[in-house]
Amino acid sequence: MSATDVSASHPAAGTAAQISATHRQHWSRPTSAFARAGGYLVLLFVGLGTVFPFVWMLLTSVRESNTVFSGGFLPSSVSFAAYRSAWVQVDMAHHFFVSVWMTVVTVIGVVSLSTLSGYAFAKLRFPGKQAIYLLLLSTLMVPPTATIIPLFIELRDLHLINNQGGLVLVYIGTALPFSMFLMRAFFESLPSELIEAGKLDGATQWSIFRRIMLPLAAPGVATVVIFQFLQTWNEFLMANTLLQSPNLLPLQPMLFALNGQYSTNWPVLTAALTITSVPVIIVYVRMQRQFVAGLTLGAIK
Amino acid sequence: MGTIAVATVSTRRRRSSSRTDAAIERRWGYAFILPTVAFFIAFVAYPFIRAAYLSLSRWAGYGTVEFVGFHNFVALTQDPIFWQALRTTILYTAITTVVQTALPLLLAVLLNAGWRGGVLFRTVVFLPAVVSFVVSGILWQMIYEPNFGLLNRALRAVGLGGLAQGWLANGTTALPAIMFVSLWMSLGLFMLIYFAGMQGINPNLYEAARLDGANSWQQLRYVTVPMLRPITAVVVTLNMISGLKVFDIVYTMTGGGPNHATEVLGTYLYSIAFGSRTASIPAIGYGTAVSMVVFVLAMGAVLFQNWWTRKARDERD
Amino acid sequence: MKMNAVPRIPEQTPSLSRRTFLGFSAASAALVAFPALLSACSSDSSSGGKKTTVRFWTWYTQQKDEFPKLIAAFEKANPTIHIENRLFGGPNDYLPAMQAAVSAGDPPEIFAPHVYALEYGKAGVLADLKQELGESFLSDFFDSANQEYTTGGKQYGLGWMAQTFGLYYNPDIFARAGVQVPETWDDLITISQTIKQKTGLIPCAFANNPANTDFLFPFITQAADDPTLLLKLDAQTDGASWNSPYVVQGLQKMDTIIKAGVFNPNSSGVQTPQAEASFYNGQAAMMFQGSWGPQDFAQNAPASFVKLYKVAKTPALAKGGKHWCANQAGAGLSVSALSKNKAAAIEFIKFLYDPTRYTSTMNTTNSMPATKSAAAQVQDPILKDMTSWLINGEGSPHIMFGKGTNDAVSSAVDAIFAGTVTPQQAAANIQDSVKRAQGR
Repeated sequence: MSATDVSASHPAAGTAAQISATHRQHWSRPTSAFARAGGYLVLLFVGLGTVFPFVWMLLTSVRESNTVFSGGFLPSSVSFAAYRSAWVQVDMAHHFFVSVWMTVVTVIGVVSLSTLSGYAFAKLRFPGKQAIYLLLLSTLMVPPTATIIPLFIELRDLHLINNQGGLVLVYIGTALPFSMFLMRAFFESLPSELIEAGKLDGATQWSIFRRIMLPLAAPGVATVVIFQFLQTWNEFLMANTLLQSPNLLPLQPMLFALNGQYSTNWPVLTAALTITSVPVIIVYVRMQRQFVAGLTLGAIK
Repeated sequence: MGTIAVATVSTRRRRSSSRTDAAIERRWGYAFILPTVAFFIAFVAYPFIRAAYLSLSRWAGYGTVEFVGFHNFVALTQDPIFWQALRTTILYTAITTVVQTALPLLLAVLLNAGWRGGVLFRTVVFLPAVVSFVVSGILWQMIYEPNFGLLNRALRAVGLGGLAQGWLANGTTALPAIMFVSLWMSLGLFMLIYFAGMQGINPNLYEAARLDGANSWQQLRYVTVPMLRPITAVVVTLNMISGLKVFDIVYTMTGGGPNHATEVLGTYLYSIAFGSRTASIPAIGYGTAVSMVVFVLAMGAVLFQNWWTRKARDERD
Repeated sequence: MKMNAVPRIPEQTPSLSRRTFLGFSAASAALVAFPALLSACSSDSSSGGKKTTVRFWTWYTQQKDEFPKLIAAFEKANPTIHIENRLFGGPNDYLPAMQAAVSAGDPPEIFAPHVYALEYGKAGVLADLKQELGESFLSDFFDSANQEYTTGGKQYGLGWMAQTFGLYYNPDIFARAGVQVPETWDDLITISQTIKQKTGLIPCAFANNPANTDFLFPFITQAADDPTLLLKLDAQTDGASWNSPYVVQGLQKMDTIIKAGVFNPNSSGVQTPQAEASFYNGQAAMMFQGSWGPQDFAQNAPASFVKLYKVAKTPALAKGGKHWCANQAGAGLSVSALSKNKAAAIEFIKFLYDPTRYTSTMNTTNSMPATKSAAAQVQDPILKDMTSWLINGEGSPHIMFGKGTNDAVSSAVDAIFAGTVTPQQAAANIQDSVKRAQGR
């Protein structure tokens, strides 16, 4: 990439709003009515296709238990009893809280460490950098089901089995390679001139990092937050295996338990699924703008 | 350039040789990565090494771990189900990578044309990525159910009842059915990434192309796609890795069945190591050996892709 | 390019002194240690106070409402013991957690052994219940339930819920089609065709997702007229091989029934809840299912249906032949030999199986008991019927404990349903697969 490419992609004072306001002048979009209508149709089709399983999930959660597999598409009678059952049966309030705090702590830990190391791999020079980086990345290629038993035995030796703190440590550790990869990409796209200037001003690397680079990488951080929040909130295998006492478990394993082999109460199950999905959807909707802005400003180069 | 206070700085510095600067930078570098590396060694590298050792052993999860060298890998070569799972995994990866790289790009291009309700669309399409595999697997199993599932009911309702079948029960349709769910889950995510990337393309390039007389389609081909190359490379890598590692989505929908029709390396390794869906005594060493194969494949795929991208870039420049 | 004005950084020592480096490392160490500190507060240590903790892990969701009540009663009577009840959804989420615990040498005090009872027992993971509970306690259980968990003269598991399999049917539909309860498989084929002709309904609802091996095994026993054949095949002893003509015969019979259109189409895509739904919604005349049917129907089916349906014995191979049907206790409990709280665990087991209490638990949940005394007091009429078959001794194994057996047989069943192999080929495949699994 030439210097002009780099600079051109980073209008230094650009904000997301400005960009979206002007983007329409970039690419000449087709203007024929036919093309517009066709486009709308495609978007509508894709949108509906994406959303209808959720619609089904919602509808099932409000119908009677024995009309799930018979009866029409729309339930004849609507009742929210399933939600109440789900909340109580799974002790949702408690497990919800467990999921929330474990996810928040994990995200904080991951963001702190991945910004530090991502910056180091992107901008600092030290021997063995490339090798260490590749080593960290290579573990992304290992299926987690392969390492769960060795991990369990290791945690047992550390007396961290059935320990929420232990699980959070594992979450942070296993999340770092990917988040670090993302942050490195972001930092790489930031111009090094800023660092040079900072050095000439006599700042320490730490100050440069904290006061110059980190604020500029805010969109990248937003990206990592979204990814990591989703990942941790939805994680199942490690939570289910490394934690043993039911009252320590987060939400996902409890959900799984609702899908019983011998008896599944579909309205309750779908009600529980709906409730679990709500926080993640909220986080995403709130962070969405940052996310887009982040990918715009720091386009993964 | 920013203001430089050379005078104040130089009084503080004793030695201003670049060798010391480099040494300082080095120490900071190591300091910054230290916590990450520590975590990595503790919770990623160490279990992986133990797993690698297990792949060279025979162990049922209880009793002694018996070292058997490459016996497991030799046994793998003679295992027809392993080969079938390998073929299925590669097929799955190839198709999902192509589809999940191209379609989101097309959709992003479409979205970029500016629409009312574009933001709503972006939110909606991303939703499947937000819910866990447990949720998706359960939902789609119900949709594909032959007698009461939404898909067949819809087909019957519009008179296409002849097409209605056991989507997940039929060896031929099961894998495509799963691939469709994979697309459903990843479409929004990758589309969003491309879309955001497109916002960052320098408008001057489009202006230049317009001046050269390029229409929408040509602008796409000669400006948008090339400028998105780095993002595309990342998307391809992510798709390849997740395709080779795939487990959750296949497992929750078919468990690798029927009769191993959708068995991929991820599900095969799980069923051997934990013996759940078909309840057999576990062979953890053997199962871990399968995971080593996945690891090697994924490494190979990424290295190959890196080499290819670099080659393509060199040829272009 | 226009560069932003660089923010002015306050003066600082540019070098990285050793002190700063150490300070930095200390900070990162603290960051790493923070969750561990957090864990000290949140961990659930097994000896909080003076209580002994007994972990109780099952996926027996049938008793999901009963277990808390039983535990509360037990803890009241035994204030020093705390029972930690973990109810999983099914083997899929249960097995990794259980196996991880066993691998680390710390299995739960009481847990569902699944098919690992014999292997774990031989490896010393499970307690010998003959020693812990005594012969008189065990004598109340059905022989088949005890036998399946016994090896080398020691018993490693207890039956919690027994199972038999039968043909549930809807008498109204039978009347409409003018058919009788089938005595043999050929009868079944005949009435199926009549049902289709006269009513257009599905003759027999059948769920083959996951592969329903319970259906196949009785065929093999019926062909050989010998329940021990399956045991030998499973353990690969006595020169038994799945290439045996009885196995082929059994597979052949199953194939014939499938091809005759007795079942709903796409059986391999149908799961139990949907098959049950088509039965209790009147879309199918029969359903081949285990004895957990009554509980499912009581929960999900319309009340009128619950009073209506009946059950018939598994059809026999030939007129006058034995109605061999599957009969083992699929749901069992084992006690860990490695836990220091074993005595407390045994106390709880005795509590659970106290005759009055156990009978009540089984009746409330419409489950088939594994003890003879409780079996005599089953209230649900359908269940009573099915339990009597257990007592009358026409039972054959349907739970395979051997290495690789279940996987191999499941694949064969799937293949037969898909019509992609001949019975001979399927049998050969089972034998190959089992041999390979044993070599791992």
